[in-house]
Amino acid sequence: MSETKKASFHTLEREEYFANPPDEQKYPLLRDAVAPHIGSFNALTEGGMDSLLNLAAKEVGERVVFDGDDENLGNRLAIRVANVQLGRPTVSANDKTTINRKVFPSECRERMATYRARMVLTLGYSVNGGPEKFESRDVGMIPIMMGSNRCHLEGMGPKDMVAHKEESEEQGGYFVINGLEKLIRLLIVQRRNHPLAIIRKSFTKRGSNYTTFGVQIRSVRPDQSSQTNVLHYLSDGGITMRFSWRKNEYLVPVMMILKALVETNDREIFDGIVASEGSNSFLTDRLELLLRNYKSYKLTSKQENLAFLGEKFRIVMDAPKDMSNEDVGRLMLKRVILVHLQDNTDKFRMLLFMIRKLYALVASECSPDNPDAVQHQEVLLGGFLYGMIIKERMEEYLSNFCATVRTELQKKKQSLHLDDPKIMQRICPRINEDIGRKLHYFLSTGNLVSHTGLDLQQTTGYTVIVEKINFHRFIAHFRMIHRGSFFAELKTTDVRKLLPESWGFLCPVHTPDGSPCGLLNHLAHKCLISVKKSDVGDIDSVLNQLGISPAGALANTPQKSVVMLDGKIIGWCTHEIAQQAANTIRQWKVTGDARLPQDLEVGLVPPSRGGQYPGLYLFAEASRFMRPVKHLATEKEDIVGPFEQVYLNVAVTPDEITNVHSHVEYSPTNILSILANMTPFSDFNQSPRNMYQCQMGKQAMGTPGVLTHRSDNKMYRLQTGQSPIVRAGLFDEYGLDNFPNGMNAVVAVISYTGYDMDDAMIINKSAHERGFGHGTIYKTEKVDLTEKQKPGDPTLLHFGFGPDNWPREWTQTLDVDGLPLVGAKLSNGDPIAAYYDSNSNKTMCLKYKSGETGFVEEVKLLGDDSLGELQKITVKLRIPRSPVIGDKFSSRHGQKGVCSQKWPTYDMPFSESGIQPDVIINPHAFPSRMTIGMFVESLAAKSGALHGMAQDATPWQFSETNTAAEYFGEQLLKAGYNYHGNEPMYSGVTGQELRCDIYVGVVFYQRLRHMVNDKFQVRSTGPVNPLTMQPVKGRKRSGGIRVGEMERDALIGHGTSYLLQDRLLNCSDYTQTSMCRTCGSLTATQEAQSTTGHRRGVKCRRCATQLEKDSFSWDSPPEGMWQDAIGNCFVGGDDTTTVAIPFVLKYLNSELSAMGIKMKYNIDP
Amino acid sequence: MNKESFSPSLDSQNLSASASGVANNKSYAVKYLCANCSSKVVLIRGDPVRCKECGHRVLYKERANYTVQFSAR
Repeated sequence: MSETKKASFHTLEREEYFANPPDEQKYPLLRDAVAPHIGSFNALTEGGMDSLLNLAAKEVGERVVFDGDDENLGNRLAIRVANVQLGRPTVSANDKTTINRKVFPSECRERMATYRARMVLTLGYSVNGGPEKFESRDVGMIPIMMGSNRCHLEGMGPKDMVAHKEESEEQGGYFVINGLEKLIRLLIVQRRNHPLAIIRKSFTKRGSNYTTFGVQIRSVRPDQSSQTNVLHYLSDGGITMRFSWRKNEYLVPVMMILKALVETNDREIFDGIVASEGSNSFLTDRLELLLRNYKSYKLTSKQENLAFLGEKFRIVMDAPKDMSNEDVGRLMLKRVILVHLQDNTDKFRMLLFMIRKLYALVASECSPDNPDAVQHQEVLLGGFLYGMIIKERMEEYLSNFCATVRTELQKKKQSLHLDDPKIMQRICPRINEDIGRKLHYFLSTGNLVSHTGLDLQQTTGYTVIVEKINFHRFIAHFRMIHRGSFFAELKTTDVRKLLPESWGFLCPVHTPDGSPCGLLNHLAHKCLISVKKSDVGDIDSVLNQLGISPAGALANTPQKSVVMLDGKIIGWCTHEIAQQAANTIRQWKVTGDARLPQDLEVGLVPPSRGGQYPGLYLFAEASRFMRPVKHLATEKEDIVGPFEQVYLNVAVTPDEITNVHSHVEYSPTNILSILANMTPFSDFNQSPRNMYQCQMGKQAMGTPGVLTHRSDNKMYRLQTGQSPIVRAGLFDEYGLDNFPNGMNAVVAVISYTGYDMDDAMIINKSAHERGFGHGTIYKTEKVDLTEKQKPGDPTLLHFGFGPDNWPREWTQTLDVDGLPLVGAKLSNGDPIAAYYDSNSNKTMCLKYKSGETGFVEEVKLLGDDSLGELQKITVKLRIPRSPVIGDKFSSRHGQKGVCSQKWPTYDMPFSESGIQPDVIINPHAFPSRMTIGMFVESLAAKSGALHGMAQDATPWQFSETNTAAEYFGEQLLKAGYNYHGNEPMYSGVTGQELRCDIYVGVVFYQRLRHMVNDKFQVRSTGPVNPLTMQPVKGRKRSGGIRVGEMERDALIGHGTSYLLQDRLLNCSDYTQTSMCRTCGSLTATQEAQSTTGHRRGVKCRRCATQLEKDSFSWDSPPEGMWQDAIGNCFVGGDDTTTVAIPFVLKYLNSELSAMGIKMKYNIDP
Repeated sequence: MNKESFSPSLDSQNLSASASGVANNKSYAVKYLCANCSSKVVLIRGDPVRCKECGHRVLYKERANYTVQFSAR
């Protein structure tokens, strides 16, 4: 066992840390975990004019509006966003009383408000090309990420954090929206600026000639917005380019784009694609066809092609009216085609390369690239997505501005002039300037409202609530990475597969089972995401030294290696030189020579027969997966990416290094996520059990650091949390001991009472009484009187009591201000708050509705931004939840169980040293599940408890020669216990020694949040659905549990027909109704009135014959005459009876008769 | 302006709570604690929810100072 990390409880250290929080953070790994979120958000505003928001504003460009008609354009007003500024959260300007103007996140959580700051756009506008004038416009309050450079908490240490009511190691990375913590989740997208060869069936749906072959590139602009271009191979050998713009798809012959990009000729294009492969007739034939077919367009020069494109795309691009077709064509090329490149020559070369790759794919010279492999993926970071949305809103702002100018011009032709100096003041208030509100909507719902779609495949589900059930769950949210909800509906399971490429980037263990399996992954704990482009320095001269010829060389062939940096072709060389160059660049980037960044990705794809398209691909852009490994040649840290890792030989342990290896892992645990690393001895377990533990670890009741100053709907707290004796090495590095998650329990594996069958567990009653597993739920009830009144009306509802007569017993739980007494005990129906209506002078109250008693823990009065009177309070209720039968517990090995009995301690078995177990579990829990890690934990914690030390449970520390059983067995022997962990035990009931030795040890148990008190459901009679008279569903409405199709089958199968009738009829919608035996009608029966000579009874009106008035004498009415309620007289229809039917049958009958369908029932006997 | 023409405004909305002198006899002031500076704040009906010292917008209700006892088993 390695002695590098010695597990310890750090008791004194922790005491000191909490007594005197230091200025410097103690757990830097926590900040590293959220670095991708904060880094990407910071990039929005960092770097002055090169900040993402300013780059986006530049990319949006100017919008133009004219005040004339189509012939005479008139004055020209051009407007653009010149600058974007984002402030820090402050109190609103109309609040004059507050001294400290800063708003801190804790206040927003308490007040159910949003942590946001003002955004200001500086608009630059000029009329008729005159000097540009500037105008600043306030565009609302933008939600701000916690811990970012716009947040007041940035750079604060534990001491300041505590002073500002945060967790001592608060790391931020999320937003506070209406008091809820929201996170933009990480999404996997295609790797940027790298053309992928793809064979996809759906490509054929694009048109008649389309084949399955394509080359797809996702180009990313400097502002991080992206545009996808696809080259399609047609069955006639031609190639078209497809792109989508504002959710519409366009197809353009690739030749047109080539010829529009640069002044070129057919010869140059031919040479640029065929290069030295003149003898490759597959290539030359197709190229000839491509060139010949394009002749039909009769467009030769660059100008002609541009003008043609411009004419077609003028409306699509929303180009200004005074722009020439040629310029519109140029604009279109700039906006849509290979947008990661600025220079048209670069675009031209890249396009030629893509065409060559496409032909190589068609000719099977290269294999298709797998878009589901991490090699071809990167991360869409929350901050970047946020920036893209802001960009689009700015674009919309300018468009709205122009549209408003146009409508104003039409409305009052005379009054508005574009050269009016006050035009901004006249137009801007008329447009919706509140960009902040739209971002607020995005964060609170996760819905993307966009007219471009942002080159993404989904419109919903971008944000999640960061739940703080325990710290494991909280921190896991930030490392969560989703494949996209588009793939969730896909029937194929290819995207969900765990591929070897993911090694070290995505955790193989930490993914949920069930529908999101494999789509919702978690980053390995050492995986980094780059948040900005690395400075590659003067890479051109570096490559020159290495013997790489420039990009212009006619060498576009898989026989040569292309050298590409972030999707820009920078040279060509032979495969041998590429190999040498890759080695040299790696050496230099690791040592830091030649000013190459350490995180430069050097992806050398060597030549192969039908493998990946060869070349030397360098990546330095943002959003890449990266991870540290040790470079063997230099003994230094190397940052590798998923593209290059496929071609590197990384040894997992130093022992296995051979001469093929270039790198070695720092630790094999680096491939696991934070949570997967916390499973003790996970290498001993069957792998699905570790997956289950990753799920259950997130459901355990934990210990929140900040309980007050939060108003989550529901918070869980474990009262008697302990530090685990058995812990992974990383447990302390992530500071998880600050948030205890469970308890060390003495566990005996024994079948003792019969109450431990089927994953049930017995808890020692005395352990329970000492507080084992004791928990509390904190529920926050919000009372907002403004929601009960119409917005805009004067305030009529006030907290407190009115002058009218209200029940005096309300004062048992309410104070004189109408708010609950802090500390009051609330039962079902007790008032929570009283308020009165000053209009009707009535006092009303809100009641506590729950079967469980709770205690008022906190009452908070929440102010609003305007100086209005009290309208909103939150009441935090404390509901004690001591463990009861039916509550769920689990060890850390995917071994969950339900408490089945609290067994009296005098009846529990005891060992020779007098130890009685806290928990008894059944031995049958082990054979099929093979959670050997739990046995090892039991051993380790037992010896740890006996020797008073913490035990390191990092996986992969033991081997066949140095076994865990031996290591901990020796420790147990030294403490005077059995080497194997077995002990003789005595029955607590009889005192006799049990016939075999019992495996007793200490296991860390988690109390899961699923508790019977939240779930139990009983009903004998209760509310029914008024239409069908069947019981309603739902626990909240005291409804029933459905006896469904399968339950019905089971009852039939058992032959328990009386039970079946009881469930389906008697306890459901049993009804008695009358029916006519003659005509079999359910609806024609009616009650006859009691008249003289005739008793009340049910008659069939259909079978009866009505007697005309005056057709008989009232003195001697016909035999058996009866009357209905309005006095009509009938004879007959006596043959009715009462039957028991389900009420829905009556309903069905009336529904059918409404359609003109008669139902007839034969009644026997 | 002579004496006769003066009539005190009875519009209670324009008067402060203490000046109007009615309807407030029931709600004698309750003390609250400022969430920010922990100073005691007295709110009368109609007052904005603000700490008088620092202008903070969240106030806590103090724990009941009289005996709250539940069945102690």
